[in-house]
Amino acid sequence: MDMLKRRILHVLKYLGALLILGVFSFPYLIMILTSLKNRTEIFAIPPTFFPKVWQFQNFVDMWAKVPLAQYMSNSFVIATCATSITLVCAIPAAYALARMKFRGLNAYMYLVLVTQMFSPIVLLVGLFRVMGWFGLVDTIAGLIIVNAAFNQAFAVWILKGYFSTIPYELEQSAWIDGCNRVQGLFRVLLPLSAPGLITALIFVFIAAWNEFTFALTIISTEAYKPLTVGIYAFFGKYDVQWQYLFAVSIVATVPVIALFLGIEKHLASGLTSGAVKE
Amino acid sequence: MEPLTRMAQRKRRGRFSGLSVYLWILPSLLLIVAIIFVPVFELFRTSFSEVTRSGLVKGWNDFQNYLDLFREENLLLVLRNTLVWTVVVVGVATVLSMGIALLLNRRFFGRRVVRSVIIFPWATSLIITASVWKWIFDYNYGTLNLILKFFHLIGANVYWLAQPSSSFPVLLWAGIFDTIPFTTIVILAGLQSIPDVLYESADIDGAGGYRKFAHITLPMLKQPLTVCTVLNIIYVFNSFPIIWTITRGDPLNQTDTVVTYLYKLAFQVNKMGQAASISVLSFLFLLFFSILYVTLTQERKK
Repeated sequence: MDMLKRRILHVLKYLGALLILGVFSFPYLIMILTSLKNRTEIFAIPPTFFPKVWQFQNFVDMWAKVPLAQYMSNSFVIATCATSITLVCAIPAAYALARMKFRGLNAYMYLVLVTQMFSPIVLLVGLFRVMGWFGLVDTIAGLIIVNAAFNQAFAVWILKGYFSTIPYELEQSAWIDGCNRVQGLFRVLLPLSAPGLITALIFVFIAAWNEFTFALTIISTEAYKPLTVGIYAFFGKYDVQWQYLFAVSIVATVPVIALFLGIEKHLASGLTSGAVKE
Repeated sequence: MEPLTRMAQRKRRGRFSGLSVYLWILPSLLLIVAIIFVPVFELFRTSFSEVTRSGLVKGWNDFQNYLDLFREENLLLVLRNTLVWTVVVVGVATVLSMGIALLLNRRFFGRRVVRSVIIFPWATSLIITASVWKWIFDYNYGTLNLILKFFHLIGANVYWLAQPSSSFPVLLWAGIFDTIPFTTIVILAGLQSIPDVLYESADIDGAGGYRKFAHITLPMLKQPLTVCTVLNIIYVFNSFPIIWTITRGDPLNQTDTVVTYLYKLAFQVNKMGQAASISVLSFLFLLFFSILYVTLTQERKK
């Protein structure tokens, strides 16, 4: 009886795993298959599941359909600059939260926590007006600064978490050797917090790379569009160029997924502000 | 602490006392205040002011924007959609994620692969995943109709995205699909922090699988479940790209939620004042959950 029950559970476990695998890879499988069909086959009735002709040429042609290289380099510049600004601001703040005590520090911490919950969409009207004051509407600089600000909370939080796990004594002995706080931070704490630093870096980079709503709102000039907004061009007025849309999507997604898998282990604690133990 | 290090610390504290300590948080604070809090203030101001068609904000107008907003005929529909969207997506995603996390917490061949695949929707831009669903649910060329016909489950193609009675469920599914990865990872982290000793002693007491789940697993997951539910409510409420890509809230606001609706008010029909007022109301609603979240997470540490 017990043996049978265990067998059934064992089978169910694998069935469940297969089901999850099937459901979660399905849209990506369709994306890959569609990206390899030619236009005639995409709009064939009845449709095909696998391409009859494998059109690898799509991955070459897509570069000429829209200013794809421009979109990609915009996205790259936006994500890189936003990540740098976020980290430059977040590292000292996280250090203060982990190592110091002074009036107002708690208030700052609550402020950061609450902003983690804000998204550009609800603030869009106000944000758009403020961007107008600074002359940042329809600029890449505007996208950079907004992405940096809205990812600040996550970066501060994950870094603070990492800094707190590293014994204070290590820095203190560096002080005795003549380092000051800033040197201690750079020479002792940051090298030891490399995993946290990399997690924050990759997460913010991906968030900025994938951001869509705010970019859609403030960017109208073709040359400033990031990839997420740029690929909307494939949704034409009368039909959608699905094969190119998905070919571009694959190129835009594969490196991101690879980076993401590398940091996935550390994300739960950063995103839930340390409320969940790893 | 050693006396020596305490001395060193005192020395440093002396050197870094006064206003200079605030330099450590200043860049971060400036960024947050300028790019998040100033827009919040400007949002409130806009919501209480008359806004000309060219976007000029004039003076106080006695809540006129709010009154206009409440007179919009589709407002109730949009609010109802938002409620259904948030509750169903968060609710279903949490239940499914719980199942997936329980499975992933067991050992089996290929577990790493399943765990990696689960992450895909989280790493992929929402508009990309949403585009694929839009294509899969396409009437003429979509894969779903193809598969259903292949297995003779439908005779003729179904217009999934033409009417809200079927397009809204499609949106819900796309939302659930994108919410599962984060929820699963948080629950899984919670499961892995439950000490094995608890289950071992339950085994000695002869407790069955269900009783172990109800009396050990669930109570131990209270904290992570609460946190990811509150966070999901905020994320899902704010979710714009899925709906924007698949239906644009059409036809006639039938599949709009608050965020797509406010986008249309602000940037398509030029009703900035009303857009600001619905944003303010959403903001206050979300602020309530944010404060709840901060209270819950900070409570544990005391």
